[in-house]
Amino acid sequence: MQLIPPDVAAAIVGMGLASYACRAGGFWAMGFVPLTPRVQAWLEAIPLAVLGAILAPEAARASPPEVAGFVAALLAMRWSGNDFVGAISGVAAVAAGRALLGRP
Amino acid sequence: MEVRLNRELIGFTRKGFRAGVVGVAAVAASTFAFGIAFGVLAGQQGLSLWATLLMSGIVYAGSAQIVALQVWSTPVPLVAVWVATLAINARYILMGAALRPWLGGLRRLPAYGSLFVLADANWALAMRERAAGRLDAAYLVGGGLVMYVSWMVASGFGHRLGQVIGAPRRLGLDFMLAAFCTTTAVTLWRGRRDVVPLAVAAITAIASEHVAPGHWHILAGGLAGSLAGAWRNAADPT
Repeated sequence: MQLIPPDVAAAIVGMGLASYACRAGGFWAMGFVPLTPRVQAWLEAIPLAVLGAILAPEAARASPPEVAGFVAALLAMRWSGNDFVGAISGVAAVAAGRALLGRP
Repeated sequence: MEVRLNRELIGFTRKGFRAGVVGVAAVAASTFAFGIAFGVLAGQQGLSLWATLLMSGIVYAGSAQIVALQVWSTPVPLVAVWVATLAINARYILMGAALRPWLGGLRRLPAYGSLFVLADANWALAMRERAAGRLDAAYLVGGGLVMYVSWMVASGFGHRLGQVIGAPRRLGLDFMLAAFCTTTAVTLWRGRRDVVPLAVAAITAIASEHVAPGHWHILAGGLAGSLAGAWRNAADPT
């Protein structure tokens, strides 16, 4: 019996190393060098850029219910400031859109 | 007012640990809710209960784990998953850097051990403690452990819960991960200065997906967009 397949285990261990490298890396590096404004601007810009890169192709091929889902998640998040309210609104919009268009 | 920190004043005691446990406990409730959501999604992506717990236990980063699930498939696209994790956790590099003047006064083991449970909430509350002049650095690890325990329990509970409710497409649950990624992006959005980096990331990702299938578009778009951000914001820090 295999509890965890090798590729899954490799993915998880790599994720763990990456996470700890981020957690300890900034602290460690500051023992030697100060972050320059440009490096700091680059680090700050990474998360949104990667999310954009993940979501853009999906948004580009989205059908109308998913487009409604993206818009609903975005608006609900802006209004509520709460991840759950935002995500559930997006899911509800997708479900409603699929029901209305008869494409379950 | 700038408080000059004295090495002798920085403590690491049981009292500070307890203060962290109490101070962060209220926030741990939202960690619990988030953990349930992660557990449900992990089950839907085909992760076993053990894999789910292993991931929560050694990665311990909610947003990164959810974004990684979004690019998850069989076999697992390792580079894409690792890039996503690094990217979403890159903010910890800055948080850790900000902790240098404080944890730098400790021995290695408490300092680097505390950093393992560094998360947004216990970091923010610990920094507030320090700003208030309370320099017991065990606050960070006390708060972190409360969050860690609720994250682990909730991940397992959510995974079981997901087996019960299932994931019918009709309910739109397949969109949940994309919706969470969208709300995370909204949280990260800082205004007009993010327009160009985001556009560069999006266009590069869509273009490179056509050229090279797989998940390389995440690396390409993320690099291009963040470099555009570095160039723009260093030139115009508004």
